[in-house]
Amino acid sequence: MSTENQTDTPDTPMVEIRDVYKRFGDLEVLKGINLTVNRGKIISIIGPSGSGKSTLLRSVNHLEVIEKGSIFLEGVQVNRPDLKGLAFERHINHIRQNMGMVFQHFNLFPHLSTIDNVTLAPRKLKGMEAKAAREWGMELLNRVGLAEKADVFPNWLSGGQKQRVAIARALAMKPKVMLFDEATSALDPELVEEVNLVMRSLAEEHMTMLIVTHEMGFARDVSDWAMFMDGGVVVEECAPQKLFSNPDQERTRNFLKKHLQG
Amino acid sequence: MEFDFTPVITYFPTLLQGLGVGLLVALVVAFMSIVGGLLVAVISVYVNKVVSWPLRFFIWLFMTTPLLLQLYFLYFGLGEWILIPAILVGILGLGFHYMAYNADIFIATIKAVSGGQYEASRSLGFGHIATIFYIIVPQALIRSIPQLGNNMILMVKDTSVLSAIGVAELVYASQYAISVTFRPFEFFIVIAVMYYVVNIFMELGQAWLERMTAYRR
Ligand SMILES: Nc1ncnc2c1ncn2[C@@H]1O[C@H](COP(=O)(O)OP(=O)(O)O)[C@@H](O)[C@H]1O
Ligand SMILES: [Mg+2]
Repeated sequence: MSTENQTDTPDTPMVEIRDVYKRFGDLEVLKGINLTVNRGKIISIIGPSGSGKSTLLRSVNHLEVIEKGSIFLEGVQVNRPDLKGLAFERHINHIRQNMGMVFQHFNLFPHLSTIDNVTLAPRKLKGMEAKAAREWGMELLNRVGLAEKADVFPNWLSGGQKQRVAIARALAMKPKVMLFDEATSALDPELVEEVNLVMRSLAEEHMTMLIVTHEMGFARDVSDWAMFMDGGVVVEECAPQKLFSNPDQERTRNFLKKHLQG
Repeated sequence: MEFDFTPVITYFPTLLQGLGVGLLVALVVAFMSIVGGLLVAVISVYVNKVVSWPLRFFIWLFMTTPLLLQLYFLYFGLGEWILIPAILVGILGLGFHYMAYNADIFIATIKAVSGGQYEASRSLGFGHIATIFYIIVPQALIRSIPQLGNNMILMVKDTSVLSAIGVAELVYASQYAISVTFRPFEFFIVIAVMYYVVNIFMELGQAWLERMTAYRR
């Protein structure tokens, strides 16, 4: 991998996942995951349903509490078993402001207009003035091609439009990394491309991204690194060109074969 | 039987005054029972069992006993210790009664806001309490409007029960006029119409609120 975007802090990866374990009751879902995401890099995570992809992504911003291991954002530990109560809450709120998350089912706030969905966090968490926030919100909506929908409510948007607003909302806090959990899986096929376009534009701006996806073509195109997970372990990880055309592991080949046949 | 509405006209200012008192009480009770009900609901959903259990007991108690009995308890119970005006007792009694009913609604609508909303807010960096305040409660409130409106309509009619402890609301005012004029039916008809008109305005208001928030759900 190139190092062109790592000049300021050459030694610190953007996200580091070290030996992470997670279980739900008796079900072991993550069994020792390791992953390093350097600044400006895009990692795609693929794998069959139930393999632990969402759990891994959600662990990165502590929506899931991991049992063992550690996760770092720019060298700062995300999971901090030593911090309790309000001290941990302050810590995690601060960490999360630096990570944008995009969900499969959008989770836009239905009681707020599109622009308010985008600007709520910078207004309330950064104290941004209403006028400045509106300008910033319009800039973001413009970026996802939805400036004309600023004062519309989410229920009046198509799925693709909702997801683009959700991306703008996640970008509003100027995150250092974006997490996408099957951002296009809930969309009608004809709406997938408009969301992919927005994600591609982020890639061109060297946003650091962790992308869980079922779209092999897209993953192959945009990512710098690809990872195949199954049964809570990383089966194989390598450059996407190799993973998608000539993987080493039998399990990866079988998964891809099934997936390409549909 | 012949109707004669002239006594009603004579005592109409008294009735209007009674109506005013009833509506004033209703306004205070609406505020108290909505704000209080929301607080009770939020606490009983989000705070540990030690705190939420007594609150649920409070809700259960007020929902399973008659309003009139609750008023008597407050009026004569409190009257043993301190002297407080009947209107204040009425406001407190009606307020707690409907606070319990409203809390019951809010608990259901708070729980109906999807977990994804909570997670989306937390993932932006909002804390637990900020998420409840900015995301969960507004959505729960919007979802509560139909049932909340029904409760408040019932509540306005229930201000008439306060006549039993001597609050000078509409029914109480008419009782005095009736005792002087011996024209009960005329008065009953007129105050029924008055409640009916208030009811219509409240239903219009509720429908308007529902329309204004329908696309925000
Ligand atoms: N909150 C939860 N409670 C119990 N089991 C869960 C929970 N979340 C996920 N799981 C289980 O963990 C496994 C991995 O889930 P997930 O990470 O969502 O997989 P993927 O995103 O790869 O489809 C699945 O078997 C799923 O049923
Ligand atoms: Mg998933």
